[in-house]
Formats: sequence, structure tokens, C-alpha cells
Amino acid sequence: MSFSEKLKGLFAKKQKPEKILTGNAKIDVETSLWERFKAKYFNMFFVKKLGWIIFRLVLLIGISYVIIYPYFSKVTTSLMAREDFVDTTVLMIPRNWTLDTYKAIINDNKYFTALFNTTTLSLLCGVSQTLICAIVGYGFAKFKFKFKGALFLLVIFTMVVPHETIRQAMILRFRYMDLIGIIPQLNGWIFNMFDGGSISPETYEKFTDFIAMIPNALNTYWPMAILSLTGLAFKNGLYIFMMRQYYRGVPDELEEAAYVDGAGVIKTFVRIILPMSTAMLVTIFMFSFSWQWTDTFYTDLFMPASGGNILLNNIVSIPKSLDTEFAGQLAYETAIRNGCGILILIPLLIMYLFGQRTLIEGVERSGITG
Amino acid sequence: MDKALKTNEQTTVEVKPLKVKKRKAKSLEKQKSTFGWLFILPFLLGFILIYLPMILSSIQISFSSIAYEDIGQVLTWVGFENYSKALLEEADFTKTLVECLGGMAFDIPAIIIFSLFMAILLNQDMKGRAAFRAIFFVPVIVSTGIIESIDLQNTLAQLGDQVSNLNGDGVEGAVNAGTEIINAIDVERFFGSMKIGSELAGVVSGWANNVYNIVNRSGVQMLIFLAALQSISPSIYESCKVEGATGWETFWKITFPMISPMILVNLVYTIIDSFTTKSNIMMSFITTASNEANGKPLGTAMAWLYFLIVMIILAICAAFASLFVFYQRREK
Repeated sequence: MSFSEKLKGLFAKKQKPEKILTGNAKIDVETSLWERFKAKYFNMFFVKKLGWIIFRLVLLIGISYVIIYPYFSKVTTSLMAREDFVDTTVLMIPRNWTLDTYKAIINDNKYFTALFNTTTLSLLCGVSQTLICAIVGYGFAKFKFKFKGALFLLVIFTMVVPHETIRQAMILRFRYMDLIGIIPQLNGWIFNMFDGGSISPETYEKFTDFIAMIPNALNTYWPMAILSLTGLAFKNGLYIFMMRQYYRGVPDELEEAAYVDGAGVIKTFVRIILPMSTAMLVTIFMFSFSWQWTDTFYTDLFMPASGGNILLNNIVSIPKSLDTEFAGQLAYETAIRNGCGILILIPLLIMYLFGQRTLIEGVERSGITG
Repeated sequence: MDKALKTNEQTTVEVKPLKVKKRKAKSLEKQKSTFGWLFILPFLLGFILIYLPMILSSIQISFSSIAYEDIGQVLTWVGFENYSKALLEEADFTKTLVECLGGMAFDIPAIIIFSLFMAILLNQDMKGRAAFRAIFFVPVIVSTGIIESIDLQNTLAQLGDQVSNLNGDGVEGAVNAGTEIINAIDVERFFGSMKIGSELAGVVSGWANNVYNIVNRSGVQMLIFLAALQSISPSIYESCKVEGATGWETFWKITFPMISPMILVNLVYTIIDSFTTKSNIMMSFITTASNEANGKPLGTAMAWLYFLIVMIILAICAAFASLFVFYQRREK
């Protein structure tokens, strides 16, 4: 019962006066409205409760403000015209509204091409990462095999290594797409042999030609695809961990029933386990999709802007049509960059609005708890 | 004795049908273990063919120097040269490292406590809970990568511009929101009448701005805690209420032990996350170092040193925290 209902009920109900006989005298013991009011609300319990509610509300609103304010200010400042940046009386709300900044960003920085590319990449990565992590997580959760603990430690290991550590090695690995990544090694050996004079220049040239033939995966979608399909992309260790915890909570009887009915392990997984874990899969998909969307490390590494693949994180620059040489230049350029950020985030925020309920539900029901 | 053995053999003969049954069960188990390998195959293949070569070659790179020949990059073994360079010659490395660790020592407990507190608040029944939850988890979706890099670009632009006054008046303050919610000048003005020095103002504004930082980084932790809170059976709380426990007692006697495994998980996650995020000063230091070194492996050596230190800290923290973790006994 909410507070207002309680208050209404209090004033609506009027108890009949009760009459008690004490000796000969009749004493009226009807408690007055004021008395009852006092008893209900003038005690420490109620005051404490009210205080807590107010404290909670203030805290939640305050922190919501902290979260929303940067986005709000980024939106408003990016709607300001140039004049507003030299006008000291303008604080947050633009005086001269304009969409020029956005128009310039969209036209000059090839926003829609970038949007299309990023959407494709994020969708592919999101779907494949979700499925792979579900499969691997299920394998770790429900089957007993040798070295399971050690192998799961490897998953944790991929999560712990900062990607900066393997940055250079990653470039080398995908520069030469051989099967086991031996080419950078070969390079050194062959060169040293050539340097030491143990192979002739002709054979060395042959080797150089051979190595030049090895496909280069940089500047394509392949590195991202390979990393996604093997559960090694950004934070995939976390997804595998979450899926494993979720599937560990699924009772074994469910699968046993399916086996008794004649379904194989794979059929059980596809027909029963996967549909059952939709909420969790949506959660993982939203994580992987949006983290891929806002990722700068891997995309900068594998698909630099110079490579021709324009992704959303390449559009953050000052459009040429916006002349920024004036007193408010610094603030204006910052506002333009923020506008780029807003343009990048808008599709993501729309997706979040539709998916947030499932996201939170998925995590709540996951029983991520051990 | 021999007779006894013989009788034993005889008994085994009697048990034979049971043994056959056992073997059948084993084969099913074997079959299941094969499927286990099959399910984790994608990860295993990726780890062996992609990740392991990368890790090994990264270690090798950190111990060698790179030369560019017409055949490609050629690595020459130089021993610990890169490491000693990073530790002894690179003046800012150790300084940044200490600064980074100091910041973490404050940030990580703050994130854990804040996200636990917020998860408890968001788990309570109240009006507008769904809306608050939606707002609180926006940073999970949005605030990785791109916004950080834009904020970084903005800060760099401002640092590059010597003339600009960063007093945050007017539009500039609004434009810079996100990197800081309040700035030192405002706090100084506020405290000005109280005759308080500018150092204190700096400290106060630092704290306040750290709030944004901490709120932004505790989204996933909040989700994990929320999931943990939901999994505590309400009947435990009910019986607590019947016994007359106060909210404070209920928290420390029930809620806290029940979610302590998740505190450990969150601790590990927070340490990993805050040490590997792009906005971490050490990470950006390493990035700039490896960019400036022009392909020279100094950055990789630094990154490995950093990784080792993170691992040691992680191990110590996890070992220490797991002493206090309470696991509810479950029958299986």
C-alpha cells in the first residue's frame, strides 16, 4: 500500500465508538483522529522510514544526474551556433539553435558509410561472439573432461592479459595469416642465415617472394572474425564466464529428460538449452554488440582510417566545411567532437532503450552467483 | 590365505553383471567428455593457433630488437635490455606506475562499495525503479572506448593550446562536462569566504570528479551484485524479521555473507578492468611509448612488466579476499 492510499484510508474509515463498562460509569474510549494520526506518524519508526526514502531518492536522482549530465551537455553544446561560443552569457542552453554541426559531420565525415560498416561489423561480431561463448560456456559447465580446470584458467588468462601487451604481436600475427603464426619466426632465421652467408641470395629471394605471398589479413574484417569465432575478442572471457555460471545453474534433469527422449547432446543444446537461455543470450549480445560498437583498440589496430574501411570511430574529426578559426575555437572544436560522439552513440542508445529490460532481466536471472 | 583369495575371485564372478553395467556408464561418460571437448573446441583451437603464438611472440618481442629488412620484421635477441631501459632509463615509467597503483588503491574499494550500495538500493521496492535502473546501466553500454578517446582528444587539444584558460566558465565548462563535473576554481570560490587554501579545493574537486569516474566504471559490478541479491531467498529475510533483526544486522549477518562470493568476483573483475582500460594512465603511457618508439619493443616490455605487477596484485587481493568469502553449503 502506498503512502497516499494509507493516508486516504486513515481519513475515510471512522471507527465506531466503543463503549466499555467499568463499574457503573460509561467511559467513551473513542480515539480521536489526531490521536491515531500521532500514533501512526509521530514515532521513530516512521521518521526513520521516511528519512530513508528521502535519502534514497536524493541519492538516486543525484547519481542519475551525474550519469546523464555529460550526455545532456554534449547534446546541447553541439546544437549551439558559432556565436554562442564567444557569448559569455550562454551557459548550457544554446541561444542560436543550429543543426549545422551535425549536417557538416554527416556530410563531410561520411557518417552513413561509417554507420553501415560499423553496424555490419558489430552485428557479425556480436552474433558470433554470443553463440561461440554460449557453446564454450556450455562445454565448461556441463561436461566432465580432463584438464577442465586448467583449460578454464586459460579463459581467465585471456581476460587478464591487457591487450596492450600483445598489441605488436597481434599485428604480426595477422600480417602473416599462416596457420600457426610461424612466419615472423622464419623471417628472423632466414635473414640471419642469409646474413651469415649460409644461404645464397637466390634462395633468399625465393623465400622473400614466398613470404610476400602469405596473405595479409590487416585492413580486412578477418582478424575480427577470427577473434570472434574463437572467443578471443574483447572481453570474451567474461562472456564465457557468465554463460558457464548460467548453465551451471540449469538442472541436469532437463538434459537427462531430453536424452531419455532420444535427443543427442547437440540436438539438446540447439533445441532446448539455447531457446531456454534467450534472456542471457540477449544480454551477452548487447554487451558484445555495444562494446564492439564503441571499441577503438581493435578497430584502430586492424582497420586504421587510412585503410579505406571507414568505421564510426574514424569520423571523430573537425569537418572541413566548419571554419573554426575564431576566438571560441577550442570550445567549438570540443563541441564538434562531442557532436561526433553523440552521433556515434545515438543508434546504440536506441538499441539500449528497446533492450534494457531484457538486459537487466537476463543478468538478474543468470544466477551469475557461483 | 590362498583360499580366501579364491573365494574373493568367486565373489567377483558373482558381481560380473554389475561390472558390465559400470563399463557402460563409463562409456557414456567418455562420450560426454568427447562432447565436452567438442564444445570448447572453438576456444581451444583459437587459443592454440592464434592466442598462444601471439603471447609467445610478444614475450619474444619484449626480449629483442626489431629491424625492418626486405623480408619483413627481423627480431634479434637482446636479453633484458628493453626491460632495464624501461625501468632505469625511462624516467616516467616508474613514476606513472606508482601513481597508477596509488589511484587504484583508492578507486577499487570505492567502486566495490559504491556498486554494492547502489545494487542494494536498486533492489529495493520503490517507484520508478525501472527508470533508475535503466539510467544506471547506461554507462555499461556506452562509456567504453569511444567516449573515453573523444574526452582524451579534447583534453589533449586543450593542453596543446597554451593560451586557453581552463577556468571552465561559460560554455567551456559545459563542453568539458564528462571529463569533470566541477572544477577547482568553483570549489575555491565556494570556500573562498571560509579562508581555505587552494590545495584543499583541489583535493575536494578531485574527489567530486572521481565520483563521475567511479559511477561510470561500476556498471557491470552493479549488474553482478544485483543478480546476486536477487538469488538470495526471501524466506531467509522473512525469518530474520520474525526473529527481530534490524536492517543493519540483517545486512551484515545475511546479505553480506551471501553475496561475498560475488564480492570476490567483482574484486577480480574490477582489478582487471581498471588495470586494462584505455583511460588508465599506465595504459595510455604504454600506448604513447610504443607509438613514439616507432615499432621498437620498449612498449611491449613495459606492458609485460605492468602485467606481472597486475598479476601479483590480483593474486594477493584474491587470496586475501577469499579468506572472508562464505560459501553456502549445497547438497548435490
